[in-house]
Amino acid sequence: MKSLSFRWQLTLFILMICGVTLSLAMVGLYLYERRQGDSEIQSRLEKTQLLMVGNLAPLLEQNPEATDLQLGALGVDSQIAAAAVFVPGKSRALAQYVRFGAHEVIPPPPANLAKSTFDPRRLIAWTPITSGTNRTLGLLYLKAEESESDKQRTTDLLKLALIIFSSAAFLAISVAFRLGGRFTAPITELAQVASSVQRTHDYGKRVESAASGEIGELIESFNAMLETIETKTSELEQARETAEGAKDQLEEANRTLEARVEDRTKLLAKAVKDAEEASKAKSSFLAKMSHELRTPLNAIIGYSEILREDAVDDGDARTADDLDKVLNAARHLLGLINDVLDISKIEAGKMDLYLETFDVAKTVGEVIATASPLISKKGNTLALDCPADTGAMHADVTKLRQMLLNLLSNASKFTEKGTITLKVHRLPDGESIEFAVVDTGIGMTPEQLTRLFQAFSQADASTTSKYGGTGLGLAISKQFAQMMLGDITVTSTSGVGSTFTIRLPVTVETKKPKVVNTSTQRLTRSPFPVEKRPKILVIDDDKDIRVLITEILDQSGYEVFTAGSGQQGLDLAAQMVPNLIILDLMMPGMDGWTVLTKLQHKPSLADVPVIILSGASGLEMAMSLGAAAVLFKPVDAYQLTAEIATQLAPLPPSYVLLVEDDADSRTLITRLLDTEGWNSRSAINGNAALRILKQASPAMIILDLKMAGMNGFELLEVIVKNPAWSKIPVIIVTSMDLTADMRDYLTPRTVGILYKGRFSREDLLGAIRPVVQNATLSST
Amino acid sequence: MPKILLVEDNEMNRDMLTRRLEKRGYTISIAVDGGEGVAKAKAELPDLILMDMSLPVLDGWDATRQVKADDTTKGIPVIALTAHAMEGDRQKALGAGCDDFDTKPVELNRLLLKIEELLKKFPPKPAA
Repeated sequence: MKSLSFRWQLTLFILMICGVTLSLAMVGLYLYERRQGDSEIQSRLEKTQLLMVGNLAPLLEQNPEATDLQLGALGVDSQIAAAAVFVPGKSRALAQYVRFGAHEVIPPPPANLAKSTFDPRRLIAWTPITSGTNRTLGLLYLKAEESESDKQRTTDLLKLALIIFSSAAFLAISVAFRLGGRFTAPITELAQVASSVQRTHDYGKRVESAASGEIGELIESFNAMLETIETKTSELEQARETAEGAKDQLEEANRTLEARVEDRTKLLAKAVKDAEEASKAKSSFLAKMSHELRTPLNAIIGYSEILREDAVDDGDARTADDLDKVLNAARHLLGLINDVLDISKIEAGKMDLYLETFDVAKTVGEVIATASPLISKKGNTLALDCPADTGAMHADVTKLRQMLLNLLSNASKFTEKGTITLKVHRLPDGESIEFAVVDTGIGMTPEQLTRLFQAFSQADASTTSKYGGTGLGLAISKQFAQMMLGDITVTSTSGVGSTFTIRLPVTVETKKPKVVNTSTQRLTRSPFPVEKRPKILVIDDDKDIRVLITEILDQSGYEVFTAGSGQQGLDLAAQMVPNLIILDLMMPGMDGWTVLTKLQHKPSLADVPVIILSGASGLEMAMSLGAAAVLFKPVDAYQLTAEIATQLAPLPPSYVLLVEDDADSRTLITRLLDTEGWNSRSAINGNAALRILKQASPAMIILDLKMAGMNGFELLEVIVKNPAWSKIPVIIVTSMDLTADMRDYLTPRTVGILYKGRFSREDLLGAIRPVVQNATLSST
Repeated sequence: MPKILLVEDNEMNRDMLTRRLEKRGYTISIAVDGGEGVAKAKAELPDLILMDMSLPVLDGWDATRQVKADDTTKGIPVIALTAHAMEGDRQKALGAGCDDFDTKPVELNRLLLKIEELLKKFPPKPAA
């Protein structure tokens, strides 16, 4: 039934009701007709009985035995099938009649003849024949028969019923089809539309038919529902299209960005490569030139010496004196050439160590012997403090000699009629030995100290003309010391004197360790409690470095994660979002610069500070790409843990922000602030400074102008445009020669400009103090 | 007077050293390459050899090795002279059998001290 359409269901229903109703009517009519027929036959039988009893009674009264009774003539008509007369005492009929053509068997008479009975089913009637004195004369048997007209009537009735039934059925179907359509059509359409909507998801369709009553309401509701769905769907589609469009735009932007990053990275990588090649070419050129310069210089020095000897022999003092000047100039030139050769070898990475074991006191004695003419030249005296039992050390003796000579020669240059002291002693740890050269010379300002160890830069341009030298000596010595995993440090007071200290390991290892200063006592611990260990991600292709750094950081209170490649590092960083990242630059596959760039472009990772660990090259680029700090390899564990702690430590409530790319200047100014009891935080350029500024506003900013990455001008522009920062006082500390335009720009935006090399410690503090005290900066 | 064999290919260096050493009383014999140096060492049996390291034909290291390998010349002290003040050269020279080492340009007083020291260590045979 379910598979039939509603219209057919309705038609069948109407048909069924018609059929049942008509059938009931027919049955009723038929029964009525039958009863009618029966009563007619009965009344006919009764009439015949009366007639025949009336006729028979006198005959039987006269002659009870009359056997010649002609029943056919005694009132039997065509509707009587059979008749018989029984008399008491006899079981056989006295007379009987059977209509011609009928086969009737006369049944035996009942026992009681006096009783009249009628069997309507068989149309049989028994009637007693009585005399005038109520004596029973006999019994009459009559059996009626349906007449032809009776039969005809029944047939007609059936025919009529059939006709009526058919017409009614036809009418019902017609009505169901014609009129039923009015009801079913809307429902059918509703069903069709619903099914079509379900199939095609075309919510624009509507049920067109109108209907009244509940179906009308149903259609209206259905249409309204479709309307709502259509609206929502189109809104959804629109939103999806908008989102799709936005997604496309985003993807496009991403592609553009990635392409740009890739281009930039390629350019940068090429720039680095070019720079490295240029640097190598320069070093090789310098080495070759130095050699070419020395050959003629050898001849000049040699022949001048011969001539001088001859002049002395001849007693020609004036010529000998002149030749001395030539020789001094030539030797000076040779010294310069040797320095250039050394520095170019160091820069080209071709300077090697030749380690041997030697007696310290004996070597120091030889150096003193060589240096003493220099020292006594300006009326200085030499004090030697080198215990004879200092013992032996294992290092590059030639380089140690050169370093000591350089320091003694410098001390002699800048000291007049003073004392130069060489102190040698082993440190209590037994692992290091220190050579300190102390003078009572002119000393240096803090600013001069910061540039002291840089190649090609003497404390002051005027120094070269006054004191001579290339200014390479200290840079070379520092490099030598660092090659032997030691260092040279300096302390100096202007006008009082300077102390240069060479610290070297007693036993210099040939194989350079990858991580130095790993002694746990001096590691800086995490600024957070043990239960809140900051997460640090180390990205370096060198497994040894990963293992060593993990160990050190684990001991220092950090949770360490490592990645052996750039891509792995990026994936891990995105997954765990570390508090800080330590990143190697030179890695196969994706290099550190690319990783840094990608980190900076991920919103979730852009603010995570990145400390770069690197060999020598490409640092400026890393800084300009947004590194928070840059450390050199071999990794100095003290330095690394100190830097991590600084980067992660919460900012003090009030602090000075120092933005300066030169490490020595940073250290110097930070110490200066520290001695005054002021908190400070350093940033290597504008990018790193912004990361700190976003955390908390400083009481003031000390800003260098020339920096890799975001420079001082760019940072200043950002600061003055941000209402949250525009009130922060800024002091410029620069070595740039400012143009009038620059000064005009800086003056209204800063509280002061100090020029590197021209300001003293007091100048700096004097400029900072009022500002900082206004901000009630306190150190705790 | 002690006889010194100077093996040096650069004419000016050769001339300067010869003149300055002769002035101080040494007898100087000259060789201009490693091969000649080894031959003259054998033929003349000098009291000391000053050997430049960057020599044509046979370099100073190989020449020194040959001198030190030969029974007749192995007792002759050799001072290596190198143009580059390279510590590597020093070790290489000592490894080749040189008894001492000095760099060019020669600082004459320092060189004279080294010569005298070696001549004391290896006293010259009485002149035949």
